[in-house]
Amino acid sequence: MISIDTVSKHYGSFQVLTDCTTQVKKGEVIVVCGPSGSGKSTLIKCVNGLEPFQSGTITVNGVSVGDPKTNLSKLRSHVGMVFQHFELFPHMSITDNLTIAQEKVLGRNKDEARDKGLKLLDRVGLKAHAAKFPGQLSGGQQQRVAIARALAMDPICMLFDEPTSALDPEMINEVLDVMVELAQEGMTMMCVTHEMGFARKVANRVIFMDKGQIVEDDSKDAFFGAPRSERARQFLAKILQH
Amino acid sequence: MYEFDWSSIPGALPFLWEGMKVSLEITLSAVIFGIVWGTALAMMRLSPVKPLSWFAAGYVNLFRAIPLVMVLLWFFLIVPQVLRGAFNLDPNTDVRLTSAMIGFALFESAYYSEIIRAGIQSVPKGQVSAASALGMSYAQAMRLVVLPQAFRNMVPLLLTQAIVLFQDTSLVYVSALADFFGAAYKVGDRDGRLVELLLFAGLVYFLICFAASQLVRRYQKKLNAHVAH
Ligand SMILES: Nc1ncnc2c1ncn2[C@@H]1O[C@H](COP(=O)(O)OP(=O)(O)OP(=O)(O)O)[C@@H](O)[C@H]1O
Ligand SMILES: [Mg+2]
Repeated sequence: MISIDTVSKHYGSFQVLTDCTTQVKKGEVIVVCGPSGSGKSTLIKCVNGLEPFQSGTITVNGVSVGDPKTNLSKLRSHVGMVFQHFELFPHMSITDNLTIAQEKVLGRNKDEARDKGLKLLDRVGLKAHAAKFPGQLSGGQQQRVAIARALAMDPICMLFDEPTSALDPEMINEVLDVMVELAQEGMTMMCVTHEMGFARKVANRVIFMDKGQIVEDDSKDAFFGAPRSERARQFLAKILQH
Repeated sequence: MYEFDWSSIPGALPFLWEGMKVSLEITLSAVIFGIVWGTALAMMRLSPVKPLSWFAAGYVNLFRAIPLVMVLLWFFLIVPQVLRGAFNLDPNTDVRLTSAMIGFALFESAYYSEIIRAGIQSVPKGQVSAASALGMSYAQAMRLVVLPQAFRNMVPLLLTQAIVLFQDTSLVYVSALADFFGAAYKVGDRDGRLVELLLFAGLVYFLICFAASQLVRRYQKKLNAHVAH
């Protein structure tokens, strides 16, 4: 589904990604973790072309992301993405947030888009809030709406960039529950997160990044059982203290 | 001791009202054109296409470095010739109003574009990322997501600029065009009551601008309350 092959990226002389290679098969859930500044966000944003990269190739469902001939808008319209700070559109009601891209990008008609949006809103448990504005919802609720907004586009895979790290602790689980359910339904997912409980529960593989490199890319059991690198061991020990 | 004599004002009110209409016409046309062209300039300035960005930067810096009164004077001297040549106008057609409108509009666009650019930049980058990630084109992201938020934040500044612009319209006196200030001056000059007429004109400008700024302030309060929750 997603194939990342020797991808490198730099800002001027600063190397953000160095020869990153990995694959995500259909239905797989991959968790990406690593210290701050290690390039996790950058890598995941390269997957849908939000960040350009200088060398290597990324293909999503057979389409090359870095190819200038690729219609990136079209590719992105069926790759869902969820951001750390939700990024709902604050000037639109929840319903409009859920329907705008369906209508303007996929060309669905109003009723169809609305039905779909409300069905997904119900699914994340927020049906009663359809007429509200994002500013009237809690962080956890906003993030669930953001997930519903991405799902409304019928994505072939989902990318998550630290979806729970901006949330108060008591709201983290409501978002993780939605993600777990999604994983169990067979959605292909690439998740940057430090929620190791989530990784243990649903991840097929865990990728550990450090200084722009993929240091570990292992099955979940191997990663949690005996991480190969010293850096990953230290990282896990630190995370588990929280 | 100077003896005030206000008696020439009541009779001159219709003439002064005509002048006020000219001032308002110039203000309104410059605000509308300034926002449209200013938005275009702001988007060029922020565009990754270098020549567009350079053009917009050059335009804005040029107009912001020249006093308005000189721009008006040039337009007063040049535009009538151009218009007459281009449209084959009768030499007696009065194009002073048109040239003043064009001068103001082009000048104010430079200021509006800076306000609008700041407004666009005040919208978090993540909003564009989210719009792009949903498959929107750059133009759609701008039109549906960025500009509506930018304008909502900018309304107070845009209106404040309009108030300044309304005051600045008095500078068209250089083209002997009878805007409100020009009309007041003419009446005062004719009746030898310049002091009274100019005091009166000043009072009118003050009342209009003060009332308008109070409205802007009230809107801003409402906006802040809305954003806070
Ligand atoms: N536009 C930019 N210009 C220069 N350097 C950048 C830019 N964007 C990111 N970087 C750098 O690239 C590196 C990787 O950033 P990235 O956001 O991918 O890290 P991350 O692993 O997601 O970290 P975090 O856990 O803090 O989100 C960081 O060192 C960052 O400072
Ligand atoms: Mg990050």
